[in-house]
Amino acid sequence: MKQILVIAEIFKGRIRPVTWELVAGARKIAAILSQTRNIPGKHLPCIQIIVPSDNPKPLAEKISEQTGNAVIGLQIPGFKTYTSDIYIDCLGQLIREMTPTHILAAHTSQGRDFAPGLALELNAASISGINHIRFDETGLFYSRPVLDNTKNMLVRPDPDRPVMLTLMPGVFKPDSHKKGKTKQVDILKISFGSDACENSRIQPTKILKRPCENQALKGAKIIVAAGRGVEKKENLELISRFADCFSSSAVGASRPLVDMGWIGYEHQVGITGTIVAPEVYIACGISGSSQHIAGMKDTKCVISINKNPTAPIFRHSDICITADVLEFIHAFLTLPDPV
Amino acid sequence: MKILVCIKQVGDDGDMNRFDAHALEEALFIKEHSDNTMPEPVSVDIVTAGPSTAEKIIRRAFGMGADRGFHIVTENSDYISSFVTAFGLSAVAKKTSYDLILTGIMSEDMMAGQTGPMMAKILNLPCATGVIKIFLPLTGKTIKVEREMENGFRDGLVILLPAVLTIQAGINTPRYPCLSNMLSANRKQILSLSSEDLFWEPIRARESCIGMEDPEKARTGRVLEGSVADKAAQLFSFLREKNLI
Repeated sequence: MKQILVIAEIFKGRIRPVTWELVAGARKIAAILSQTRNIPGKHLPCIQIIVPSDNPKPLAEKISEQTGNAVIGLQIPGFKTYTSDIYIDCLGQLIREMTPTHILAAHTSQGRDFAPGLALELNAASISGINHIRFDETGLFYSRPVLDNTKNMLVRPDPDRPVMLTLMPGVFKPDSHKKGKTKQVDILKISFGSDACENSRIQPTKILKRPCENQALKGAKIIVAAGRGVEKKENLELISRFADCFSSSAVGASRPLVDMGWIGYEHQVGITGTIVAPEVYIACGISGSSQHIAGMKDTKCVISINKNPTAPIFRHSDICITADVLEFIHAFLTLPDPV
Repeated sequence: MKILVCIKQVGDDGDMNRFDAHALEEALFIKEHSDNTMPEPVSVDIVTAGPSTAEKIIRRAFGMGADRGFHIVTENSDYISSFVTAFGLSAVAKKTSYDLILTGIMSEDMMAGQTGPMMAKILNLPCATGVIKIFLPLTGKTIKVEREMENGFRDGLVILLPAVLTIQAGINTPRYPCLSNMLSANRKQILSLSSEDLFWEPIRARESCIGMEDPEKARTGRVLEGSVADKAAQLFSFLREKNLI
């Protein structure tokens, strides 16, 4: 039987929630295949979730309980922390013995690191950063953001080989959990290469956490966030004055400003910074990269000011203001007070 | 020590992909800070796959301080698979035994982030993606790096050389080309190659682009009309209604 495989994302010994999104994606693919192929149900691909770990049993059981899908605990002796070398080798050994049509991983720092190499190892096609799974009469195809998130590209893999897919986190909604329908859990032991993990070419030293005093961002009702549209560091003063108009506010920033050293990391909103969900988010001159959007998409009301009317941020906004952000804030601050 | 940086031309202006500029800067920084600590001098070569116009970014890389430039000349095409690019770049990389191969974490146009890790697999080298810090000076057979993960976490790694690293923005500030380099850049020869020079038969992509679409709206944005002052006034009353100001 053909399989749709999901590589669970494990970080510091715990299952990351993006794993449930991958299962939702796998179910969507399975549903499309059963709808489009007029074949008896037993020949449909089955979903199997793979959990790599040195001790996968408890994690595998938890995933099986949570999803009701079959789980393979990939036991790698001596495995401590994720490295691409170990994942590509051990997953490659395991999956080569199977007949998958689709292999799903998360489009995260971990999935992006091993998926392209694993695809080549398995002679598979590889499509990264998927935000939609779709089909037509020819079969399944996938959409992925390109050109600074201004367009989606539709990509179809060759039908005669398996395809490795990485799914954008935060896009595929996890299904409600089906507790009580625990499926089979298999533990398979596979050693890394001919060697032990200690002899891998990549040696993890330690996982560090960047210190971040982001309480101001986390606690604010209104976040006024600055992007490249502010043009220069000195103009951040204007953003602060804008934020001061509100009683419970904080100043946020997009990644490029932090990278350029204009503002501290504790202000960075996004996947690699702080994830926020204030009542109002005012995006000032932010174009809207997917990593930034993912960091503020649960905001109640998004207001965006950008001079480019096609900026991706406008697609994620409740109020769209097409204007030069500096000019707009000047106008706002000099409004005759109507009170 | 020999370093190869893979760069790509992107956008309407045909500039160097921003992440690749960070990778080139890091290579030049390594050269300047490890020349005395490594057993042999450090050299920085660059390679790009793209149409003839991509010569522009090779000249720019020379201006920044790169030593040799390779250009795999391709047809102008709307879609080039990371898979095909990775094979082309790897074929060039194989001609010289590089100790370190750097490229950007992704290209700004295709945003796939696959070329670097695919090259590592083709060349059978260890790979780390999203590198945000390299510990210098380099002294020998390994390189110590930090890889960026989500939520402010970083993954500390020691990697055996030769290796492939993909570079994340924020690692450095790319330098501008300097005048003396720019002058000599024009005299430098670019080593041009075609796919036929590299392969017996063309490498075929394993996926194809079947169209482009405008992304759907996640929220129904109300567009404010009028002059800038009008818009500011409208926003003010909206916030006042909600008791936020």
